[in-house]
Amino acid sequence: MPATQATAAPPTEKPDMQMAVSVRGLNKHYGAFHALKDIDLDVANGEIVIICGPSGSGKSSLIRCINHLEQHNSGTIHVNGLELTGKPARVMEVRRSLGMVFQNFNLFPHMTVLANCTFALRQALRMPQAEAEEVAREHLQQVNVLDQAAKYPGELSGGQQQRVAIARALCLKPRIMLFDEPTSALDPESVGSVLRIMEKLAATGITMICVTHEIGFARRVAHRCVFMERGEIVENAPTAQFFSNPDSPRLKAFLDQVL
Amino acid sequence: MHYDIALAWESLPTLLQGTLTTFIVLLPVLVLGLLISIPVALARLERGPGSLLAAAYIIFFRGVPSIVLLYLIYSGLPQFSVIRNTALWTLFSNAYFCAWVGLTLTHSGYMGEIVRGGLAAVPPGTIEAAQALGLGRMQILFKLRLPMAARYALRAYQNELLIMVKSTSAVSAITLVDLTAAANTVFDYTYDPFTPLVTAAGIYWVIINAMRYAFNVADSRLNRHLALK
Amino acid sequence: MPLLGFVEQLGLGAMVTIEVAVLSYLLALLVGTLFALATVRRRPIVNAIWQVYASIFTGVPSLLVAFLFYYAGSGMLASLFSVVGMRVNIEVNPFAAAVVALGLVYGAYIADIVRSAIHNVPPGQFEAANVLLIPRPTAWFFVILPQVLRLALPALSNMWIVVLKDTALISLIGLKEIMTYARLASGVTKEPFIYFILAAAFFLLMTGLTYLVTQRIEGWTGRGLRRAAPAREETARAL
Repeated sequence: MPATQATAAPPTEKPDMQMAVSVRGLNKHYGAFHALKDIDLDVANGEIVIICGPSGSGKSSLIRCINHLEQHNSGTIHVNGLELTGKPARVMEVRRSLGMVFQNFNLFPHMTVLANCTFALRQALRMPQAEAEEVAREHLQQVNVLDQAAKYPGELSGGQQQRVAIARALCLKPRIMLFDEPTSALDPESVGSVLRIMEKLAATGITMICVTHEIGFARRVAHRCVFMERGEIVENAPTAQFFSNPDSPRLKAFLDQVL
Repeated sequence: MHYDIALAWESLPTLLQGTLTTFIVLLPVLVLGLLISIPVALARLERGPGSLLAAAYIIFFRGVPSIVLLYLIYSGLPQFSVIRNTALWTLFSNAYFCAWVGLTLTHSGYMGEIVRGGLAAVPPGTIEAAQALGLGRMQILFKLRLPMAARYALRAYQNELLIMVKSTSAVSAITLVDLTAAANTVFDYTYDPFTPLVTAAGIYWVIINAMRYAFNVADSRLNRHLALK
Repeated sequence: MPLLGFVEQLGLGAMVTIEVAVLSYLLALLVGTLFALATVRRRPIVNAIWQVYASIFTGVPSLLVAFLFYYAGSGMLASLFSVVGMRVNIEVNPFAAAVVALGLVYGAYIADIVRSAIHNVPPGQFEAANVLLIPRPTAWFFVILPQVLRLALPALSNMWIVVLKDTALISLIGLKEIMTYARLASGVTKEPFIYFILAAAFFLLMTGLTYLVTQRIEGWTGRGLRRAAPAREETARAL
């Protein structure tokens, strides 16, 4: 279903090129279930935004709508000024600026770590093999996993696999990185290694939208935090204020539970 | 080639006679095959020589095509005087008997593996609980393990059953006039291959799908407690 | 004793058996994979065609289908082509009838196997390929199909053995393969037992070989995947 112009959203400034991601009046239904209710969200270039909330709140759905892994039912999504319609060509264009890291890594199990990274470079960007390998090695080095380059994902630990997944996404040089609960499937030791890499990444000035439960990480790294519950954005505030002075009672209750 | 309805109607008695033969061959095979497969499966689950024998049994009778077994029993065994010159001859000279033996051996090989799979799928915790409650081995086997195994194995059993029905066509090799052979005889004296073979196909189709339907009903009945509301 | 001569013939027959089985299996793989790809998503017309095809070819013994194609094949082809106004007289030999019959019958089973394997590839694999901007056909060929092969391998390997054994049955349409020569030798020498035992041995040998080859392929397609915890298998076996 093609996206339609928002009708319910209050008039705001037109989505402008300064905004990395701009969401207006977004609605998503799964059958009868209303997963996202009139979501408005802006993420500026270079901003690091954390989305948190209880399970079923729609955080994953939101992120998945942004790169069209889910088709939204109404409302608009703009990425770098381009509107995300359902059209395949537009979707491809939009995805060029987006990198995604999944909760379950989704590495290709039958390819080596290196091949996982070079595959997209060769197939999507038509880069020659030698150049692709160079780029891949560089990024694998940055996530401290270069020594595993010849191994298969199944031979790596969860933390290593997720770092490979991050490198794989970064190889395509996206302007915006999306993270869908990147550490939720990891054992506690691995969580740290992945978060360290994400912090390193954050310091480079890239735009990041991250769905996560890692509150400590959010405090250290995020510019802004967003709290979602039952398909709605309940609070959207700069980090300091989000944690020290939460507005909504539901956020207060949530923070009390997790901290 | 066109379908001759008149011929189809006329040849129906012959074809139905063949169908009867198919069932006469099939039903004892299903019963005996299942009965034999249970001890084979149980032996397979133990350790030691019994398990190896059972494994060999299963491998042999799953690996050899049923038509080869039928020839071995019907044509091959009479070679030996112990078969030919004794009371056994009354049995082994009878094509039905040979068909029953041959197909039962094949079927029990496949069933052995299916029953083993079903038994292996029974959660060990359930058995342990039963043991802790003081139930004896035989009780556990008949009241708990086999009924539960049946539920897990139902899908595989359905597949095997349908395959078995179609495998009965092999008995035409040892002079039995089953449905397939009957269709061929009609072709022989009418020179129309299309009509009788297609009609026979139709009859098989009805039988197979009736069985499929029955299984679907059984499936939903048995798994009623698992169904989503 | 012309024993050796007949054994030689059995060997030649065995090769024909293998030939028929291989060609049938390849045809079944082709037909099955095409149907599987076509029916991965529910499309009403394609699904209807699939249901009819599957219902017919899994509802009827392969021997009957083979008889039909052999005896009525020329006639059916003639009728088919006359619909478009062509007059053809194509002789159908037992070999062709057998291959087409087995190919169509087992194509239906293989379609189910492949489709089920496709559905078992984690959706995340499709998603990852999408967000990495991999073009669709490339994604299918390099990412999805290798995983489909790994998932479908046990069932596909089983199917091969089934096809091979069914070839023995199909010999009844007059195909000159191992069973025919075994029958011939039995008739001449009046010693059927040894020849049918040899035939049985051939099939057992092929089963064994298939097992070994499958293990090899499984090793290659499963490269890099951690082995399932052996402890679990032990427990299952102990019961």
